[in-house]
Amino acid sequence: MPKTKAQTDNDILSASFRDPSGFLFSHNGVLYRQVNHSYSEHYNKLIDSGLYDELVTAGLLIPHQEVRQAPAEENTAFKVIQPEMVPFISYPYEWSFGQYKHAALATLSIQLRALKRGMSLKDASAYNIQFVRGKPVLIDTLSFEVVKKGLPWVAYKQFCQHFLAPLALMALKDVRLGQLMRVHIDGVPLDLASKLLSFSTRLNFGLLTHLHIHAGAQKRYADADIKKIKQGRSMRVQAMQGLIENLRSTVKKLNWKPGGTEWGNYYDITNYSEKAFKQKKDLISEWIARVQPSVVWDLGANNGEFSRIPSQAGIFTISSDIDPSAVEYNYRRVRKDKEKNLLPLLIDLTNSSPGLGWANTERESFINRGPADMVFALALIHHLAITNNVPLLKLAEYFASLGKWLVIEFVPKSDSQVKKLFRSREDIFEHYTKNGFEYAFGKHFNIRESIPIIESERTLYLLQEHE
Amino acid sequence: MILLINTLISGFGDNLVYLDPGSGSFLIQLLIAALLGIGVAMRASWSKIKGLFGFKPKADEDAEDESTDG
Repeated sequence: MPKTKAQTDNDILSASFRDPSGFLFSHNGVLYRQVNHSYSEHYNKLIDSGLYDELVTAGLLIPHQEVRQAPAEENTAFKVIQPEMVPFISYPYEWSFGQYKHAALATLSIQLRALKRGMSLKDASAYNIQFVRGKPVLIDTLSFEVVKKGLPWVAYKQFCQHFLAPLALMALKDVRLGQLMRVHIDGVPLDLASKLLSFSTRLNFGLLTHLHIHAGAQKRYADADIKKIKQGRSMRVQAMQGLIENLRSTVKKLNWKPGGTEWGNYYDITNYSEKAFKQKKDLISEWIARVQPSVVWDLGANNGEFSRIPSQAGIFTISSDIDPSAVEYNYRRVRKDKEKNLLPLLIDLTNSSPGLGWANTERESFINRGPADMVFALALIHHLAITNNVPLLKLAEYFASLGKWLVIEFVPKSDSQVKKLFRSREDIFEHYTKNGFEYAFGKHFNIRESIPIIESERTLYLLQEHE
Repeated sequence: MILLINTLISGFGDNLVYLDPGSGSFLIQLLIAALLGIGVAMRASWSKIKGLFGFKPKADEDAEDESTDG
């Protein structure tokens, strides 16, 4: 994560500035969270009420330890805590529908549990949820506040914008609308969601109230004085529970069925023989054992078939694909098999997540969250070089920026999958040959292995970046 | 900005509230919650009555619903 230098030799994380309760900083490569004095009452209640233990035991909150590390800003510091490290920070626009829905349900479950112990979430940002060991976890320990009797849920608007609106659009309009989160840093505006959703969604009580009427109220009362609204009105905890439970049942009813796409049943229609498939898997296993990476990024991973070779060997693996259905199938398998080392993500490599938010540093670009120790680019290069017209030299440079080791499959023009790509366009790619590939990638990598895949036209390479 | 928001909602007496809850969001929430709160209160009373006759209350729902498709 990008950092800004504090007065001390600590680095304060650039995304950690909105909440005055505290902030994240790193010192000698270790991540800490400073808890400020102004938050002490709430922090103590989180611990003393048993809420912290309950949430950590349920796997809903990131565990932390109180440490003696010097704070980054002494004047304001109450405590310094060291949270468990999250292996990879991902963002809502990189999640499959199922991941997003589970993140929303986790947030609501946390809020319900908090209310029972006299606390409430003071923010409901989708960015506070991360996937750890395959499951959604709240990573912001300072998100809780002591319930102030009579006050409504301060994060209601944020929950609707960060979770309900994008999920409703994805489930009921088009799954690609999840990408609106990339444009709107504080969640999808409710008036926009209301406009985009079909009229029939007004027949759903939850969507009618939390989205459509909510959007109308936002417009109508935009300039209203909140103090006047509060006069004579208060909200009982029971009412707040009813609200959260209704949000939960509304979210639960939002569903999406992944369809068959050009990638959806890729392994069934590919020109690989069983022998070739096995050879590819065996080679990858062998190379992983040789290189022993601690982080692998499998790019264009489809449903994660090959990502599971490193992840099942205990290596944390990102398994990304451009296709929402493939990522959804991948995530469902993670949940079904309780896989802990695999993180499926929706990434379009031709336009991967940029730096976003304030000064473009609040949300990091995909590339900045690397490098990985080892990158897989299997059955991918023809899509980037031919479909997207990226020259091989640029591809080599790009992959060199992502990881030290590269397992890449060269798919020549004679391959049936590449022939398909030429059905509708001219071949203007004179350098797209095996020699051209080796020349371009040789500029950045040493070729450690080059093995032809049996019963196919393809070659699998193990490349190591130049020292 | 944070100072401005804090000033705006200082009527709530909580200096740590750094989000703008939004006036419209605030109002509509009160109305929906009042409606839904009645349901919660009724359910609570119903489970107390059932408790008198020896019915055990249902365990809390799990954090997540595994189903994401229709």
